[in-house]
Amino acid sequence: MTIDSRVVRAFEAALAPEDVISDPVRCRAYECDGLTGYRVAPELVLLPRDAEQVAAAVRVCHEHGVPFVARGAGTGLSGGAVPVADGVVISLARLKRVLEVDPVDRRAVVEPGVTNLEITAAAAPHGLYYAPDPSSQQVCTIGGNVAENSGGAHCLKYGFTTNHVLSCEVVLPDGSLVTLGSDTGEQAGPDLRGLFLGSEGTLGITTKVTVRLLRTPETVRTLLADFPSVAAAGDVVSDIVAAGIVPAAVEMMDTLAIEAAEEAVHAGYTVGVPAALVVELDGPAEECDEQFEQVKQICDRHGCTRLHIAGSPEERAAIWRGRKAAFAAVGRISPDYFVQDGVVPRTRLAEVLDRIAAMGEAAGLRVANVFHAGDGNLHPLVLYNAAAGETERAEKLSGEIAELCVELGGSLSGEHGIGADKACSMPKMFGVDDLEVMRRVRSAWDPRGLCNPGKVLPTPRLCGERPGKYRPHPLEEAGVIERL
Amino acid sequence: MSQGNATAAPLRPTDLRSLRDAVLDTAGTVGIAGAGTAAGWAGRLAPVDAVLDTTGLAGVITHNPADMTVAVRAGTRLRDLQDELAPHGQHVAFDAARVTDGATVGGLIATADAGPAALVHGSLRDLVIGVTFVLADGTVARSGGHVIKNVAGYDLAKLLHGSYGTLGVLAEVVLRLHPRPERTATLVIPCSLEEAAAHTATALGGPHEPTAIEWTSDGVLLVRIEGTAGALDARLERLRAALGAGEVADADPWERHAELVRGEPDLATLRIGVRPSRLPGVLADLPTRTVTAGLGTGVATVTLPPDAVAAAHARVHAAGGVSVLRSRPEGATAPAWGPPPSALPVLRAVKAELDPQGRFGPGRFDPWM
Repeated sequence: MTIDSRVVRAFEAALAPEDVISDPVRCRAYECDGLTGYRVAPELVLLPRDAEQVAAAVRVCHEHGVPFVARGAGTGLSGGAVPVADGVVISLARLKRVLEVDPVDRRAVVEPGVTNLEITAAAAPHGLYYAPDPSSQQVCTIGGNVAENSGGAHCLKYGFTTNHVLSCEVVLPDGSLVTLGSDTGEQAGPDLRGLFLGSEGTLGITTKVTVRLLRTPETVRTLLADFPSVAAAGDVVSDIVAAGIVPAAVEMMDTLAIEAAEEAVHAGYTVGVPAALVVELDGPAEECDEQFEQVKQICDRHGCTRLHIAGSPEERAAIWRGRKAAFAAVGRISPDYFVQDGVVPRTRLAEVLDRIAAMGEAAGLRVANVFHAGDGNLHPLVLYNAAAGETERAEKLSGEIAELCVELGGSLSGEHGIGADKACSMPKMFGVDDLEVMRRVRSAWDPRGLCNPGKVLPTPRLCGERPGKYRPHPLEEAGVIERL
Repeated sequence: MSQGNATAAPLRPTDLRSLRDAVLDTAGTVGIAGAGTAAGWAGRLAPVDAVLDTTGLAGVITHNPADMTVAVRAGTRLRDLQDELAPHGQHVAFDAARVTDGATVGGLIATADAGPAALVHGSLRDLVIGVTFVLADGTVARSGGHVIKNVAGYDLAKLLHGSYGTLGVLAEVVLRLHPRPERTATLVIPCSLEEAAAHTATALGGPHEPTAIEWTSDGVLLVRIEGTAGALDARLERLRAALGAGEVADADPWERHAELVRGEPDLATLRIGVRPSRLPGVLADLPTRTVTAGLGTGVATVTLPPDAVAAAHARVHAAGGVSVLRSRPEGATAPAWGPPPSALPVLRAVKAELDPQGRFGPGRFDPWM
């Protein structure tokens, strides 16, 4: 135990003795998030019951120099909630009240431990819903969504968490309680709310979130289409975009992903086809129907081998069940797998998939692909067998795929975050000065470096010193950006 | 140069390098200027040693029509950018009043401006996917990137949005684009503010998906519908039936709306944001001369006598809202900002980290910092 007993007593005074967990067995339940490869058992786990207790706990951390990591449902896929060895985990699981649903102003005020889907459930009686829909929406919490700026299948049309959060009550790293954002999109000063959203728990802990609610669309049309090649499916996406249509969602799955999903949930996908697209349109009936006809014609034009149109809400749900089950379902065709989250400009999808296939072949590993085709966000699943000693090779391939995305002008992460997992890859995407300015911003919020340390930004301790000669950024080589 | 209170000629860089050099080679305080369409907004710029004119940083760097993204230099006038994008059937889904006056992309971001379409598309904070900017110490930094979906690193574009040139100079901006709607039409409904609020509830409560709803003190509610040519007439008809009123405008009613947003030279202009349902009550309590009110967004722009501004800030704040002064008559004094936000210490700390000598935009956040 490296946390002083005096400090433990301070936590017990700030919360209640029974809400401070020090039993190593119970603490171990908090040792990792959805990225189970990273594990660090915390010294203490704190279970505050309200915002004031969160603030009081953080004040104790601040006073005594104890690092802290906030935790929602622990579904994150980048190790953003991995504890710090000599620190505490502050769980927001008990802050789970829906405080207000306002159908007139179309907003909800919720505590951070409320799940994403619970917000929609609370809004549904009013014909409203909360738009961002990460695949884990049944269990992931809004506090975690705020930290990660979570996306989802429908963010192509509706945007990400940052576009749907009006304001956040936040406990700053010094324990003070402030509100970021306002009741409207209007700002008085720089958009601190926007900076906080997606800061992966490094700038503070949110204790109350006001989200926008949207009216449930009048019409939703969903189709599942099979194609003879990934390239043909990609061309369909390009043509949909070129036609000026903004689909609610466009998802693609390749042979392996289809096979896994079908085996798991029998959603009606065609096993063996090279590529399947899920296209969903929503909106006013007249417009939705008109554009849906166009989408069907585009599919036909590109050699669609089977077109299945959801004829009922149940059929639509089945199509989505297949898509959303794909990650977990991969467990049925492989003992272990890594999920990647890179982004490429959408027009480079076919190219990146070819290269991923070649890299997988060279590494002797299979890669299944499930992705948000509309915005170029890939989720390659690198399949491996840990028992056969393939872990290291798979991890390397997975990292190389993320860095390939950067090389093609994209990003290391579209929605899972950098966390502990990709912090050391950040220099592939950002220059020294870019990262230094981010570090300065972080320091303004958290001068003592106690708030989720070791995440997002690379540190020498974490990643090793990286001397050696300067390597130009890929965008720099392409003449898109210049380094001065 | 509407805010050129420096004695030396303004610096007018034309690319990232000369911008960086201009910041490094200048001593003392710097005022950052764009097209001058919002030079008098927020706190008055204190006397500065140099003015940095960003309008030479103009032009598209890369436009990828198929990816629906565009990278531009920050001094590009959004009007010009829209003209370049139009042949591709694309646009930046943003319609602040001063766009037609030649406002620059960087200036629109720095002032957190937005127009009626914010109801659906938000402000530029929601459309910017990458930025390159220069700090007061000459550091060139980048955040975001060229793809719509990206959560790598801090989103520093947000920090610059609404910073009024106090944290850094924008050099380059990458924007997300939307398809230009095939058709746009506006229903005009003569009514009072209270009636307009009821109509707004109807319009937003149904399946109509309007892109803008604004009441103006001319006594009309404007409801804009955009979409495919084939479906628009039917959608308009359905909306009109639901509202039980309204005619489709033949001229462009939004030009008059923009005129009201721009304000009057002998009055102060205040921008207000409060919870939409509270907006009519707040407006009723203010001695406004003209009003445009986004009843769906909760954002209003009003003109009022300068001596009423302080009380107006207080009234908006009491309703849980925020407000900022956009213009005041020559010589008049009126507070630019209302009561400080709870997060002011964070704002000050960020300013101290990024611009420790207070070089950029002195006075803009007076008296907050």
